[in-house]
Amino acid sequence: MTFLKSQLKNNRFLTIVILAYVAVGIFAPDKFLPSLGNTWYYVKEMLIIMPIIMLLTSLISAWVPKETIENAFGKNSGIKGSLFAFLLGSFSAGPIYAAFPVCKMLLSKGASIANIVIILSTWAVIKIPMLITESKFLGPEFMVVRWLLTTLAIFLMGYITSRFVKPEDLPTDDETATAVDGPLALNSDYCVGCGLCAKIAPSYFKMIAKKASVINQTLPPGDNLAIKDAVAKCPSQIIRFHP
Amino acid sequence: MDIFTMIFWVITLVWLGFSLKKDKGKTLKAIKMSGGMMKGIAGDILGILLLIGLILTFVPPDTIKAIIGDANEVFSAVLFALLGSITLIPAFVAFPLVASLVDAGASIVPIVAFLTTLTMVGVVTFPLEKREFGLKFTLIRNSLSFAFALVIALAMGVIL
Repeated sequence: MTFLKSQLKNNRFLTIVILAYVAVGIFAPDKFLPSLGNTWYYVKEMLIIMPIIMLLTSLISAWVPKETIENAFGKNSGIKGSLFAFLLGSFSAGPIYAAFPVCKMLLSKGASIANIVIILSTWAVIKIPMLITESKFLGPEFMVVRWLLTTLAIFLMGYITSRFVKPEDLPTDDETATAVDGPLALNSDYCVGCGLCAKIAPSYFKMIAKKASVINQTLPPGDNLAIKDAVAKCPSQIIRFHP
Repeated sequence: MDIFTMIFWVITLVWLGFSLKKDKGKTLKAIKMSGGMMKGIAGDILGILLLIGLILTFVPPDTIKAIIGDANEVFSAVLFALLGSITLIPAFVAFPLVASLVDAGASIVPIVAFLTTLTMVGVVTFPLEKREFGLKFTLIRNSLSFAFALVIALAMGVIL
């Protein structure tokens, strides 16, 4: 029963839609099967594309050297920095809010305002697996034209924002999660729910309502490789570890 | 399967093969990560697809065409850009949704406006963004994204 309850809570949207289907089945039974039929067409299309998206996202996260890209940022990185910002955004996984902590970290490394805007925007709109899905459902021509226009807009936006916002305008506080007592801290606002930390170090992290939480602060003596691995693998880099 | 999708399947599988050969553990771990992310949104995806079925059955294509096909493009673009700003669904769930509208005769201008603000403008994530980057940055970035979404949408209407 609790399992069912948590499933309902985690899939509120799906539950509402299913209830709508039940209502249709009762009040307009002749529309029930056509609705499912219309859905089936898009389910098939989705099933063809989903495995590639999943695999490509994994391969990109495994082999694109993010650290190298991140280290290339700096105040005087100029056009090269902007290109790297564009690449970093394009090759990242997860929704835009997963980019916030990453950008915050890059800001502290000296990344410029323009480049932060570029990363945030590309992270949001331009991602390789996304482009494939877009071209599948709306056609390659649509995808390419939108990509070109969006890319142009993103660089312009970076430039314009940097004219109006100066580094002093940004809040300086870092480490929003330091107020926790213990060596491990985690800001679950930005968790994308991949569950990797819970898989790598199950005795320290647990997925609660689709978000990661720290469940254990006592460390055994040793180098805690599992925790370090979880910190490194987190796609939005939200785990803080201070042994 | 169209040729484009097929090419991506081939590229992905070849890359996967090389990746597995080079570092099996790293590859499997990465797959687990994106698999976990997918599982998290699987319910939403299914929900959207089922919703598409309902919309297409209950709203006749003529109605869709009348609302966002033949109506004033600037007006519908602004409306859909607003809609995209407040909606928080993963972008690739949105593609089948908007494709079903385009198939039913919707104009691409509001569709592009929706797709662009959906991902770039975040009303729901505004407080988070403000906390990290300050009010000024967040306000300017989101307003610019909104404005450019409209420009991109109108430009696409002219080009395509």
